[in-house]
Amino acid sequence: MTKTTAELMMEAETLVSYGAVPDRILDDALPDMSWQMSREEFLFRGIGDHLFHYRRGKGITVHRGADADAAHESLWLNGSVYAAIASMNGLLPIHASAVAAGGSVFAFSGPTGSGKSTLVAALGNRGFRLFCDDTLVLDLSDPDRIMCLPGHKRLKLTSEALDLAAVTPQERVSPELDKFYAVPASGEVGVAMALAELIFLEEGPHPSITPLSGSERLMRFQDDHYTAQLFATARQFDRAGMFAHLSNMAQRIKMSRFVRPMDRARFNESVEIAARHVENDAD
Amino acid sequence: MNRVIKLSERFTEAAIDDEIVVMRVDTGEFFSLTGTAATTWRLIDGNRNRDALLAALADEYSTDEAAIAADVDDFLAQLKETGLLADS
Repeated sequence: MTKTTAELMMEAETLVSYGAVPDRILDDALPDMSWQMSREEFLFRGIGDHLFHYRRGKGITVHRGADADAAHESLWLNGSVYAAIASMNGLLPIHASAVAAGGSVFAFSGPTGSGKSTLVAALGNRGFRLFCDDTLVLDLSDPDRIMCLPGHKRLKLTSEALDLAAVTPQERVSPELDKFYAVPASGEVGVAMALAELIFLEEGPHPSITPLSGSERLMRFQDDHYTAQLFATARQFDRAGMFAHLSNMAQRIKMSRFVRPMDRARFNESVEIAARHVENDAD
Repeated sequence: MNRVIKLSERFTEAAIDDEIVVMRVDTGEFFSLTGTAATTWRLIDGNRNRDALLAALADEYSTDEAAIAADVDDFLAQLKETGLLADS
């Protein structure tokens, strides 16, 4: 199937080569697990002598020093580096996991540990194909619809989530993390699709999915996740610019809140509610 | 009577569905205006004074000015207190 302009751009911009990279692109030194961004460049330092340098139009150069941990490399490339490149090239990465239904995308957002990945994995057992895990990249260029780029990360689940979602684990993500790669039960989507809805996960005793009002949508779209920080830095928003962005997203994106108990015994009940909602709202 | 004016250099606003969301740019505070509050905000055009605003609202909602005067005065006072409004 034909790829969108945004997909082709991301493919070209995220090509990786290995070689020498600068240790900073701004004046200050770059500590472990931090990044610097200028108009044309992005530099991320992992742990120790492990650097990722992106230049617009030139792709990514990785410097992996002798003490660098290769197991982390794909996590950082697919995490901060990918989100930075998307942001610097006009795309919007958001902290969400998503499934596809009826030719469009239903995304679930919430803080780390809120159950995004577990929910989409469980929805996979009900026939919904995985669209992305953890980061959803949006292309805002079409005024009539927001397109989602297909996921670039493998599904990752904790051992508890694997059990809850009844998914078979593959290899461990890294020795330090209690997370395992997993294959989604209904497969993955590999093409861009329009965003149908963004659903925010909340905890509460009575499961329900309800639409958010205009101001609630604006407020909920604010995020302190690294994807939002990278996007804000790339766009160099002042307060008014950020407000204009948030209100634009609130106007364009259908958003809901999904309240459900964080209770293992009621997990299937929550998944069933999510599945019915997605089925009913799909085209 | 003085005209009621918005201190437009202090805020930015957006209409989302039937709400108006206003943000003070110096503090980042948000205000959500719905229903009659949103209508009142829309009718504050810099030309109307308090009485003209009251008349326009009464016309909009097909009611007596006296019935809504106290609520409108309260709302205008709140907007002045939050730094979004002044009398010219």
